[in-house]
Amino acid sequence: MEPFHAEPNYIIEEAPVFSSGHNACPGCGEALAVRYVLNSMGPKTVAVIPPSCIAIISGPQPYSSMRIPVYQTTLEASAASAAGIRRALVRQGKDDVNVLVIAGDGGTYDIGFQALSGAAERNEDMVYVCLDNEGYMNTGAQKSSSTPYLAYTTSTPGGKPNDKKDIAEIMAAHRVPYVATATVGYPEDLARKVAKAKEMRGLRFIVVLTPCLDGWGVPDDGAVRVSRLAVQTGFFPLYEVEEGERYAINVGPTPGWPVERYLETQRRYRHLTADQVAAIQAHVDHKWSLLHARAKVECVPMFQGAEI
Amino acid sequence: MSRPPNEIPTIWTTGFTDVFNTGTWRAATPVYAWRPSPCLVDCPIDNAIPRWIKYISEGDYQQAWLELVETNPFPAVTGRVCHHPCEGHCNREVLEAVVGINGLEHFLGDHALDHGWALPEAAEPVGKRVAVVGGGPAGLSCAYHLRRLGYQVTIFEARERLGGLLRHGIPEYRLAAQVADREIQRVVDLGVEVRTSTSVGDSQAFAQLREEYDAVFVAVGAQQAKRLPHLDAGAGAGRVLDGLDYLRRCIEGATRGLGERMTVIGGGSAAVDVARTARRLGHRVSMVALETRAVMPAQREEVEEALEEGVALFDGAMVTRVEATAGGLRLDCVKVQLDPTAPAGELRPLPVDGGGFVLEADVIVTAIGQDPNLTAFGGDIRVDAGVAAAAPDTAATTAAGVFAGGDAAGTSRFVSVAIGDGRRAAYGIAAYLGHPDAEVVVRHTLEQAVNRNEVNVFYFDFAERNEKAKAPVAERLTGFAEVNRVFTPEQAAAEAARCLTCGTCIECDNCFVFCPDMAVKKDDSKSDSPEGRYVILDQYCKGCGLCVAECPRGAVHLEQVTQ
Ligand SMILES: Cc1cc2nc3c(=O)[nH]c(=O)nc-3n(C[C@H](O)[C@H](O)[C@H](O)COP(=O)(O)OP(=O)(O)OC[C@H]3O[C@@H](n4cnc5c(N)ncnc54)[C@H](O)[C@@H]3O)c2cc1C
Ligand SMILES: Cc1ncc(C[n+]2csc(CCOP(=O)(O)OP(=O)(O)O)c2C)c(N)n1
Ligand code: SF4
Ligand code: SF4
Ligand code: SF4
Ligand SMILES: [Mg+2]
Repeated sequence: MEPFHAEPNYIIEEAPVFSSGHNACPGCGEALAVRYVLNSMGPKTVAVIPPSCIAIISGPQPYSSMRIPVYQTTLEASAASAAGIRRALVRQGKDDVNVLVIAGDGGTYDIGFQALSGAAERNEDMVYVCLDNEGYMNTGAQKSSSTPYLAYTTSTPGGKPNDKKDIAEIMAAHRVPYVATATVGYPEDLARKVAKAKEMRGLRFIVVLTPCLDGWGVPDDGAVRVSRLAVQTGFFPLYEVEEGERYAINVGPTPGWPVERYLETQRRYRHLTADQVAAIQAHVDHKWSLLHARAKVECVPMFQGAEI
Repeated sequence: MSRPPNEIPTIWTTGFTDVFNTGTWRAATPVYAWRPSPCLVDCPIDNAIPRWIKYISEGDYQQAWLELVETNPFPAVTGRVCHHPCEGHCNREVLEAVVGINGLEHFLGDHALDHGWALPEAAEPVGKRVAVVGGGPAGLSCAYHLRRLGYQVTIFEARERLGGLLRHGIPEYRLAAQVADREIQRVVDLGVEVRTSTSVGDSQAFAQLREEYDAVFVAVGAQQAKRLPHLDAGAGAGRVLDGLDYLRRCIEGATRGLGERMTVIGGGSAAVDVARTARRLGHRVSMVALETRAVMPAQREEVEEALEEGVALFDGAMVTRVEATAGGLRLDCVKVQLDPTAPAGELRPLPVDGGGFVLEADVIVTAIGQDPNLTAFGGDIRVDAGVAAAAPDTAATTAAGVFAGGDAAGTSRFVSVAIGDGRRAAYGIAAYLGHPDAEVVVRHTLEQAVNRNEVNVFYFDFAERNEKAKAPVAERLTGFAEVNRVFTPEQAAAEAARCLTCGTCIECDNCFVFCPDMAVKKDDSKSDSPEGRYVILDQYCKGCGLCVAECPRGAVHLEQVTQ
């Protein structure tokens, strides 16, 4: 039998920055995101990483999974550290080096937020990527302000009573040059957004939804499917905002797909009642109408794939 | 504080994680392996359906056709008349509807005829001779594969031309004679010796064949019509015909004087063909079938077409008595139910109380099945329940060097089954004759096939199934032109694109893209491997199964690590 050959050879262009042998759990969504973030940024990059699963994935000292200089900063200070590194590079006359933050949601939405907001206000020159697994996962799956409404965490055993902060809108309101959402179920979209951010200047912010298998209650081979369902059901819209106002919605929800299809794939939502599912659905619908209004477009779904 | 020169601070990185062996975490390993698709398993000819459909979608029709004729030398025939069991478990149904495999086969078959493509050449002679008795699809398929294996082949056909029921059974509005003829000629052109009008009619003739040839394939079909004696008795001479006889008369133009009203008895393809043929020749036609419409053995489409063409169907009924009257024939009928406790395969009709009705006709045609005539062979080979006993994988009978297939050796009476039997027989014969590189055809099972939980349809857009266009009913009734139209190239491309290519790696890169551990590598030295050019790096694979979950087509699967 003759094999079938696919051309071109690689569908996503990657520089080999992220290395095998890292410490992420089998099937980890966050590791997959790190792959496309680092390999799209390329070797001329300095990374700043606060305490988080990403710090663990970056390697047990003195080994690193990242073939670039990495500075492990404190949980509060990622954006400030990155701003300092950028200024030092400028002082040294090095203008061809990317400065990249990869931080968790706890280190972005909560503990590192004031440093980030300040850096955004000053439009510091960096790419800031938040790998959002919707909780403090590295320390035992406590809730963060990114944890969604009614999701179980070890510190919200009855389900989180408050809504998830909308970090993309908060950053867009800082009117930084570029804000985008992405997720590992759409790796080409993720890689494209990182590559696009890399070519811009000023503070560029990307929040990547990265399913945490253990924290969310997802099987080892489920990260991609769950990530995709988040988009397909409208739970996590994929979009970009330039200069705080030019919106582009990349992937819309699949018509008729209820958010329940997303929720039922995860143990952290197992306790939900029908009324609670309906409340989450209403919430998702409302947020879409707000996004549409801001984007001033009707979203034409780009892709209508199905899932079984 | 000062430190000695050249000593690296302990907080500095000195190496990279790729020295680690995270593969030891693994409990299961992904394995790249070709697996059968359900369509291939269901196809009686084992056609490599995902492969040739893939070539159609790439616009490489010739390569597609060459892949198809590896197994099936008659795609224009089967593309028209096959009952297409291949579509029965097609995984595309998960999205919206099964793939129109039969329509694509029809398209490819016609495209090859239009372009005059020749079949792959016969192999170098291996110096052995095989006799094929019967020039229907079973015999012709066997002859084709034997030629490709290097055997010298002689077909003995009782009639004046080759084709069997393709030429004197299935009517032209479903299979134009010139289509069958041209596909048959391509096989003959491979150097098959043909002796038409030569019946192997008795055991002596058969014994002589066994003497002269190294092996014999018996593919004489089932030509003897089953009859209903209680009808013959009441009706009077010439008023009850059998279906095959009637169809043959139509081909010869000898159907005058049968009267206007016809009742056809039977629920299979042959009965429907008689009824529709009669409609084209101006008869008013009623049809009486034991089974209800839902379970009639005829294909659903052909029953629908018959109804469109004005055939009056009385399903779930039987004729109990016939009486000749001044005005013609009076048929006493009754509605029946089939006894659910009857053994499988046996029809036991139970009359329904008050279900009596009467039909009038000038002629009755029965089409209730045929039996093989095995008188010439029965002395040598075992005959079970009227058909030749033959091994399912090799078609070998109980007599050394004698093989049998098609209608003569089974009760699954389909063109594709006959072609598949012919192929298996050819390889069975080759194995028997010690061919150096022919292996017996191995059939796969649905359990081995990629099932619908193993495909990932996210990677496909919704797309409606394409159907063959049909001639308008009024036009159909004016003659014997084919009813079904072949796909346009646009339809073929759209339909081919719907196939998920189950079980065959097409190097889409998904497994490579979704590995969080970069444990999938592309190895160009493996680019000739049918499993694709991917390898799993043992040192790093943690066995998460993402590559398996995201393979759209089940071309990679997980196997438990056993230590
Ligand atoms: C009206 C009708 C419609 C049908 N429609 C369909 C359909 O739509 N789809 C489908 O899949 N199947 C259909 N079938 C069934 C299909 O035609 C048969 O299953 C198939 O043709 C069997 O192939 P075969 O080669 O075994 O036998 P045949 O096609 O019957 O060929 C046997 C050949 O052997 C010759 N022969 C017989 N005895 C001798 C002898 N002693 N010596 C030499 N030669 C001999 C015969 O003349 C004949 O040419 C239909 C059948 C009928 C009757
Ligand atoms: C100021 C401070 N508080 C608490 C911690 C302990 N700590 C280390 S990692 C972590 C969780 C961070 O969560 P997140 O940023 O979401 O990353 P994840 O582990 O989920 O990837 C916490 C609370 C700390 N390092 N610093
Ligand atoms: S999708 Fe294609 S390969 Fe899969 S069963 Fe259907 S026709 Fe066969
Ligand atoms: S995705 Fe990678 S780590 Fe996971 S099973 Fe496949 S090869 Fe192994
Ligand atoms: S995911 Fe694509 S490349 Fe990988 S095995 Fe399946 S078909 Fe082949
Ligand atoms: Mg987190």
